[in-house]
Formats: sequence, C-alpha cells, structure tokens
Amino acid sequence: MYDITRTLGWPTPVLNDLNRPHFEGMADGKVIVQHCPDCDTWLAPGAFLCENCGSTAVQWRQASGQGEIYSYVIMNRTFDPAFEAMVPYNVCLIELAEGPRLLANVTGIANSELAIGRAVRATFEKVGEGLPLLKFAPA
Amino acid sequence: MASKKPLAAIRGFAMSDLSRQYIGETWQLAVTAIHRAIADAGLKKSDIDGLLINKSPVATLMDLPMDLLDYAGLKDLTLCSVVEAEGSSGVQMVQQAALAVQAGMAKAVVCVFSDAPIRPGVSTQQAFGMPLPLMGKLGSEAPTGLFGPVAAYALAARRYMHKNNLNEDHLGAVAVACRQWALKNPLAMMKKPLTMEDHHASAYVVEPFHLFDCSFPVNGAVAVVVTSAERAADGPQPAVYIHGMGQGHRGVTNRRGFENEIEIGAKLAGEGAYAMAGVGPKDIDCAQVYDAFTYCILLQLEQYGFVAPGGAGEFALAGQTAPGGSFPVNTGGGQLSGYYLQGGTPLSEGVMQARGTAGERQVKHDLVLTAAYGGRMMYHACMITSPHASL
Repeated sequence: MYDITRTLGWPTPVLNDLNRPHFEGMADGKVIVQHCPDCDTWLAPGAFLCENCGSTAVQWRQASGQGEIYSYVIMNRTFDPAFEAMVPYNVCLIELAEGPRLLANVTGIANSELAIGRAVRATFEKVGEGLPLLKFAPA
Repeated sequence: MASKKPLAAIRGFAMSDLSRQYIGETWQLAVTAIHRAIADAGLKKSDIDGLLINKSPVATLMDLPMDLLDYAGLKDLTLCSVVEAEGSSGVQMVQQAALAVQAGMAKAVVCVFSDAPIRPGVSTQQAFGMPLPLMGKLGSEAPTGLFGPVAAYALAARRYMHKNNLNEDHLGAVAVACRQWALKNPLAMMKKPLTMEDHHASAYVVEPFHLFDCSFPVNGAVAVVVTSAERAADGPQPAVYIHGMGQGHRGVTNRRGFENEIEIGAKLAGEGAYAMAGVGPKDIDCAQVYDAFTYCILLQLEQYGFVAPGGAGEFALAGQTAPGGSFPVNTGGGQLSGYYLQGGTPLSEGVMQARGTAGERQVKHDLVLTAAYGGRMMYHACMITSPHASL
C-alpha cells in the first residue's frame, strides 16, 4: 500500500525511492521505468529488485513510449472529485514495447474505440492545477 | 481415495445477525458470533484456549483488536492473533487453528471474522472506494483514477474475457446462478429473482462490470470452533473434518509474458490441498469460493481444476453451477447474492453444506472445497472438508 496525497489539486502517491523518478520524469516528458543491467530485463517501476534474476542493481531508464492496450475499464462513477468532469473515463493497462506495464488514461479516443492490442504512444497532459501526467494516445 | 486421518475439525459454528444496516460495532458482532459458536459446539468459554481474529483489510485494528478476548470473556489463552492475509484470512485462520491443534498448542480455537462497514453517513463507495494497489508501491492508481476493488477487478475481468472470448452473458450467468441459490437461503440478503435481462439492464459501475456483477457490503460476523478430529466427534453438531489445506501466493509481475489476471495462486493452493487430502478436483461435490465479482467464480473454477482453462464461461452459461447443475458453486448465493463477509462467506456456507444443515439448498457434500482470496486474487487459501472422518 502507499499513501495518497494531493499535488496541484490532483490525487497522487506520496513519492518515495521506488516511484520518484517515474513521476518526476513526467515533468520532462519522459516515460521513466526500470531496467536490470545484469539480465537486460525491463521492469515495471516500483521494483526493489529484478524479478527475473534477483539483482538489486536495478536502474531507472527511459522507455520509448510506444506500447499497446493490455486491458481497460470505463469508470462510470466518481470516486474522487478530481475526476468528476471526466466520467465516464477510461483507465488502461498499457504494455510498453519494452515489456513493462503501466496504468494510464488513453486520451484522444472515444471510449467505444478502445480495444485490447490497440497501439498507443505516450503523451503528457496537465491535470488539476497544472500537474503533468503521463497519458497515452492512439499511435 | 487414500485413507488419511483428518488434520482437525470444525466442532462449532455460528453467525451474528446479518444486516445491511448498522446493528452494532464490529467487536460486538464478533462477540455475538463467538458466544454462539461456543454454545453451538457444546462448550463453555473456559474450554476455549485459542482465538484467531480476522478483520477486514479496510478496517483498522481499533475495529477488531487483540483485546477482543476480553470483550468476549475469554481467559488464559495459549494462542491469540489477528490473522492478516487480506481476504484469504477467513480460510487462513482456520488453517492456522488446525495447525495449532495438531501441534498441541491449543485444544479449542475460536476463529472469527467480523465487519461493520455500513455505518450511518458512510456510503459503500466511501467504505471501499480507495485505490487497490495493483502496481505495488508505484502508486499510479490514484492519479489515473482507478479507484476501488471494483475497478481493479474489472481491469482483470476484461483481460480474462478477451483471452477466452467471453461476453457479458457469461458474467451474467454467474450472477443469475448465485441469485437462484440465494432464493433458497433464508440468510441471503437478495430476495428477488434475477434474470439475464436484469443483469444486462443494470447500470455499469466500472465497465465491463454491471451493478449485478458486484457484491455488496453487509454487517455481520462468522465464527467457528476448531478442535481435534476426535474431540469434534463428541460434539452436539456433525463434525466437519478438515482433510486438506493449501495456499498460493504467486506474486505480481507487471510485464509481458505474465498474465496476473488469469494465472492466479488458486492453482497452487488447490494442488496443495488436493495432495494433502489425497483427492482430486473430480472428487469434490461442491465449491464455496470468494466471489466479490462474477468473474472471480469463473476463474477459480478453472484454477481449482473443476473446468479446463477457458471453459468456465460456457460451463456457467449452461447452468452447471446453478441449482440442478452438475457442479454446485456458492450454494448460499455467495457474496454476490447472499452476504459479503469476505472469507466468512465461503467459510459459513462450506460448514453448513458439510454438516448437511443447508436445508432447501443442501447438495451432495461428501467433499466440499472452501476457498478465499485477498488483494486482487493475489493471495489464496483453501481447504477440503467432509462430514466423514476418513476418506
């Protein structure tokens, strides 16, 4: 579990050593995930060690931003006021070209056009009072 | 089947009153269930030397603290713990009680689940609407708006449906079957018939889940008394013998090649329990599983080996899990139509079935599988029980 706070009016996790580079990379327009230099495995961020080989030499590394939709849902209710104007909005699990999966909203597409396997690319949008957030758009 | 002695047995069982209204604090409901279970076992409070406590993962230790033993009037225990394995705790606490009895650490262990999420002025959404951390410590659920177990499970269900060419009829069939069972269960909260049309017409909460794909909170408590098999045989109620127990916790790998949404630890848990009992899935007469959402029944049917992978949707659509079907599942209506008491739901119905006291909904019960999970189906525990001391 993690603690939730609000940054520029938007719900965000409290930053820690396992997530800070990922979220701070959004301000630079970069998709920062993790990579194991010992076995060359790309990892979903938040990893303390490489789940493939066990190495703790895991490094932060920029991914290409290319990927595809692995799964998706449409949120039909408001659980947090920040999202009220967006309902119904999508949340997708994106499988990056490098392999790791990330949760993100896919923008620039009708919810009815979402499909598993659809190619997407990273894009960055300001949310709340100007917080840059990683999103994806149709490739 | 191999001839094996049971690990332990359930001698006492009871529930508090159940309600979708506030009827008391979590600890009060727990004390009621504990006292009723001890009486049901034909024992006195002084006979009890162990207490294992299962609180909801979204409740706090203040709701159900260690000193529940004082509220319940229990003294001089040689075993007492709050079991924290999320939703799998309801079965895990019985497993731990069986191990303690086997090891001689305690002779009569009360295991209790209690929860009171419904309170004046608190909505379901407020009680359960926090993000469920699928992505570990990354914490990307909150900024992307993936709130509540319902969203986390919907994301998994969509993937599972895609891989197996399932549609909303397959999910709806599960909801309809559970409702048919619930109508036979006086304890069930849902009292009206449910059709496939009703399911499809209900609003989406988080698509692909309609309202009737989701369970609903209930205030209540379930308690059992675990003793040795020999001791349980002397009780006033039919003993429920525990022949096999298993757990499965696979870990989550969020990258290509790993289908966390489908390849869950239930398989590992089932394999362990079957091996311990010396039986296989084909020997099981009915299953009582955690069904917070419709998709969970389908996936567990496959992972516990009752249906080939990918086949559960058609199996449910053909009515096989419903009354009159070939393999009864969640015969009390489950969490979907009966009552959502986390692991306490399959535990309670599993005991009633194995005892043969399930009334109008009683099914063949020589071997009953009872299973519970926590997280988004990340942590699994199951047990195989029977009214027979030897298999």
